[in-house]
Amino acid sequence: MKLRTRLVAFAFIAASVLSLSIVKTTAAADLSDEQLGRIKSNCLSIKGSLNQLHATDALLRVNRGQIYEAIGTKLMSNFNARLSNNSLDNKGLVAVTQSYQTAQVTFRDDYRIYEQQLSAALRIDCTKEPAALHEAIESAREKRDIVHADVLRLNQFIDDYRLAVNDFMLNFDRVTGKS
Amino acid sequence: MDDNTTPQPDNETLGFWDQHRFMLLIAGTIVIAFILVSVSLVIYNVSGSAQLDLSRPGLKSVSGKVDRTNVVTDYSAFGPVTKDTVKTFTDAYDAQAKKAKAVDAFNGDPLNPDVLEFADPTASAE
Repeated sequence: MKLRTRLVAFAFIAASVLSLSIVKTTAAADLSDEQLGRIKSNCLSIKGSLNQLHATDALLRVNRGQIYEAIGTKLMSNFNARLSNNSLDNKGLVAVTQSYQTAQVTFRDDYRIYEQQLSAALRIDCTKEPAALHEAIESAREKRDIVHADVLRLNQFIDDYRLAVNDFMLNFDRVTGKS
Repeated sequence: MDDNTTPQPDNETLGFWDQHRFMLLIAGTIVIAFILVSVSLVIYNVSGSAQLDLSRPGLKSVSGKVDRTNVVTDYSAFGPVTKDTVKTFTDAYDAQAKKAKAVDAFNGDPLNPDVLEFADPTASAE
């Protein structure tokens, strides 16, 4: 009975190790020898491009982040507070602001994950580990797409808030009896 | 006259910890400083502050290009709500919204193997 249990445990571990190695081999197998050779020979130019992208994206993150932060804290939140202080209905605006702030947090986190992945790719020696570099770049590419989706979502919430302000003004005009 | 001065212990009667108090103080200070620096570095990396730090190596070329011209004035949370005050808000908001959407940030595919020039030529030929 004990032997049987041990055999099952061994088979389970062996299967796990084997499947892991197959997954790794498949990822590496996606690359042809020619591609591996190209990565090695273009190593310097690839690293240069990655370094440049790293710097421009960092600048973009800082500049975009400042604008998103200003819109959220200096404009949206304060406008909502002013409506609230005047006992006016601001539920729609508050809902959009909360979604916007959540999207901002997601954007910050996703950018951090992307930047860490790109930095990890930059640390790889492409002359010795071309397959690892390829894998790291592919991963960074996916993460950058996620960051782009976050930016589009934030822009959408900026538009939504503006529409909510228009709705508020329509109601406000109706309530105050102005045309 | 009272002569009850406490006798001072000589070095031989002092224990190990008492004899090395100064060294322990130095060692303890170094250990505490090391722990605090480690915690700070973890927070620096995990919080996302590192991503905003353009003074890091490799980012110095862009550190002078941060937009410092965009000064946004806080919209006051206090005061009446009138058409004029709402217009003041919408003007400021529209200006910032325009700036936010002026650039389609993080678009494109600069990490594409084709762009980085290591794509499989047979794959592109197909």
